[in-house]
Amino acid sequence: MCFLWLVNSMRNRVVITGAGVVSSLGDSSSSLQLSLCSGRRAVKPVELFSTAGLGCPLGGEIPCFDAQKYLGRRNLRPLDRTSRLVASAAQLALNDSGWSGSILNQEEVGLVLGTMFCSVHTISEFDRRALEVGPAYASPMDFSNTVINAAAGQTAIIHNLRGINSTISTGITSGLQAIAYATEVIRSGRARAILAGGADEMCFESFYGFDRAGLLCRSEHSAGDFPIPFDKRRNGFALGEGAALLMLEDAHFARERGAHTLAEITGHGCGYDCSQGEDEESAVNSIALSVRRAINDASAGPHEIDCLSASANGSHAGDRHEAKGVFAGLNGQTRKLPVTAIKSMLGETLGASGPMQAIALLETMRDGVLPGINGLEQVEDDFAFDMISSDNREIDLETALVNSAGFDGHCCSLVLARCNEN
Amino acid sequence: MKHSRVVVTGIGVVTPIGTGREHFWTNLLAGRSGIGPVRSFDTSAYSVHRGAEVHDFEAENYLSNLDAAHLGRASQFAIAAARLALADANVEIASLDLERAGVSMGTTSGEPREVERFDDLFVSKNLERVGPEFLALYPSHVIAAHIARELQFGGINIMIPTACAAGNYAIAHAFDVLRAGRASLMLAGGSDSFSRITYTGFAQLGAIAPEVCQPFDRCRKGMIPGEGAGVLVLEPLSSALKRGARIYAEISGYGLSCDAHHMTAAHPNGEGAVRAMKQALEQSGTAREEVGYISAHGTGTPTNDRLETLAVKRLFGDAAYRVPISSIKSMLGHTMGAASAIEAAACALAVYHDRIPPTINLREPDPECDLDYVPNHAREHTVRVAMNNAYAFGGNNASLILKKCEEPQKGTKSTNKI
Amino acid sequence: MSTDEIKARIKKSIATITSLSPEEITDTASYKDDLQLDSLTILEITVDAEYQFQVKIPDDVLSEIRTVDDTVRVVQQHLELAVA
Repeated sequence: MCFLWLVNSMRNRVVITGAGVVSSLGDSSSSLQLSLCSGRRAVKPVELFSTAGLGCPLGGEIPCFDAQKYLGRRNLRPLDRTSRLVASAAQLALNDSGWSGSILNQEEVGLVLGTMFCSVHTISEFDRRALEVGPAYASPMDFSNTVINAAAGQTAIIHNLRGINSTISTGITSGLQAIAYATEVIRSGRARAILAGGADEMCFESFYGFDRAGLLCRSEHSAGDFPIPFDKRRNGFALGEGAALLMLEDAHFARERGAHTLAEITGHGCGYDCSQGEDEESAVNSIALSVRRAINDASAGPHEIDCLSASANGSHAGDRHEAKGVFAGLNGQTRKLPVTAIKSMLGETLGASGPMQAIALLETMRDGVLPGINGLEQVEDDFAFDMISSDNREIDLETALVNSAGFDGHCCSLVLARCNEN
Repeated sequence: MKHSRVVVTGIGVVTPIGTGREHFWTNLLAGRSGIGPVRSFDTSAYSVHRGAEVHDFEAENYLSNLDAAHLGRASQFAIAAARLALADANVEIASLDLERAGVSMGTTSGEPREVERFDDLFVSKNLERVGPEFLALYPSHVIAAHIARELQFGGINIMIPTACAAGNYAIAHAFDVLRAGRASLMLAGGSDSFSRITYTGFAQLGAIAPEVCQPFDRCRKGMIPGEGAGVLVLEPLSSALKRGARIYAEISGYGLSCDAHHMTAAHPNGEGAVRAMKQALEQSGTAREEVGYISAHGTGTPTNDRLETLAVKRLFGDAAYRVPISSIKSMLGHTMGAASAIEAAACALAVYHDRIPPTINLREPDPECDLDYVPNHAREHTVRVAMNNAYAFGGNNASLILKKCEEPQKGTKSTNKI
Repeated sequence: MSTDEIKARIKKSIATITSLSPEEITDTASYKDDLQLDSLTILEITVDAEYQFQVKIPDDVLSEIRTVDDTVRVVQQHLELAVA
């Protein structure tokens, strides 16, 4: 432990100085927390496109999303929905962390964005138009949004973000992986400030893919079953959307510029399950490895983790693997660990999910309330969690574990510590 | 904390001019072109018809655990390149700590042919034929995931889809991971498959040349879309020495920047490119005069080649005229997310063999592009340091530095453990 | 189709693509210098015009298109060619 402390003390510390979120349950950390703690559910019948013929009619779309509200009067035609979500979240995060336009002219702030699809909808629309009317009439403007780093590029242009700009694509864990990537960049001294997080939009193409793969929750009628993480009755997840970005800064730099620090990222870890969930032992081991790596990186012991924000989204196997994997990763110390799973209300927001989990925890650090898991009534018998229910829980949150795990085999874990020195 | 030094011990490539390191390098030095009429889809509705496709590729030759029918083309290329790289590095998978063996890959489009299939069915009103496999085939992360699944690598697994600079980004990330001791071995590179979506888009931008790719030539008319994959085996110097591996080159640093200017056009002053190169030199402790070869992004478009030349001159000053700089896209076309990975492989080989591949089709000099582009013929030249530059849509710029690893003996072929 | 009809449709497209107000989109305003449109946006306007009027403008003519009047003129020329 001493050696780890010594190693860790020689790298730059990474703090969170602000957050920006555009979600189906609010466009600020506080409104998101309020919605989560009042058990408000964003998952409802999809209106963005028709779900006729599909097995699941539900999704957590952002109703009436208007990026102009965040970005002002500029022309947004060149941006597709994903880019608008990211650029909007970036504006909110920059505001929240006190980065004005003039400072951005002087400092090279970076952007690391996690996204599973970026915009498969734009890619598909571009291709379909070419098929229907001929390639000579395909839209050049849409083509510029068919690259997976488009949203990160568009956002950098709008906000003058000239530092490291990277896009990370690791399925559901993309957003948390992006935060981990950015953390390492700042630790190494390569950058002082990076917006890091993730986004994915809800669109017919990805919805169709998830539905056909049998991953979405099934419901006989639109007011029926919803995603219920960790519950015995769970039968899949509901797709959501959104964008969530954290402003990460070198702690010393943040202090020097007088920034308000919300929390510190003390550790991260990841793993990959080659069986992609087909083999329970392999899946559980990968998640356990991810958790262990994160808490070791944070020089923390399992007993120091005050709560878990789980990736659980209602997937039958996925939730199970996570419960077992976290149990193993924390050396069995999960009975007294308060657990939340906000995908019960937001749905599965893919690239945005991990960062949204982190942002919600920042609020819990502030107001001491951990949201309950909406709809949870019957926890699986062999999930070793006692402090898990649909009720909110009051906790004094110093150190949190954020977990992200996907059906595709990726897993990523983050440790956040409250900053007490403001 | 002492960081590990990171070296390249294996190279695997699938390219329009050859699959496998030897075949590729021989053809590269011979100035062979992989550009020809597009075969994978009908281009009669387009005003351009040429591409750089990989022909006669049999994925089954490289697969032991996965089924080619369940893999998109970019994944097939990537797995092939990964297997070739491991074989080239003489690495026995059985000897690896698989939880510390990782994959870091770049791409521009992921598996666009899967989306094309979806769209074909959508447009013909047969969407019900899209099966459950669509999701497992399409999103870009599947490329790195498929490599891991084929090889059972349980370590870091990451996809960095930063378009035409993705290969450099992926290699840079693998470099960081190894330096920090978070892995024992990394497969790093990039992969992209030919697609009508990409072809249509570049055609609409007026960016595709009608016949050949002629970087830096006065009459250059554009780029030629291509496909392929490049994967490097990267490991700590200490482990390479311990197992007597052949070391092609050392990765000694990189620089990343963002233009934040325009989605498809570079900054008019080459500003972002200069910053990326400068950072790469500074991080690797390299003086400008030490650079013995620059692998250019060199797409062959009028704008890129002019701005890239400007950026090199701005950073290197008079030294720019003494550094050979060539674009192998003149032969390979633009292999998108694979490009800078394949170019990094070429840089590693240039460093190892002290030979520089040419820029072919360079007949008429352009007054605005007046550097030494190694026209038409490969050249023997001592290359202690190579710089690999890549620029992408979205304004992503990446420069990678590879150096001769002069410390150890060149290893003999033997199977050794990591 | 009359010149005015062509012009009206093109201006409507430009408004959609750029979010500029109709008053700003004058016949002779330079796309680049007066309306501050970048090359991608100008290309989008041109391709949209090609699609609307089902014409194909050769690449070597594109650089001549700098204003609404230019777009209208080139579209009209190619409409006449198509009829001829």
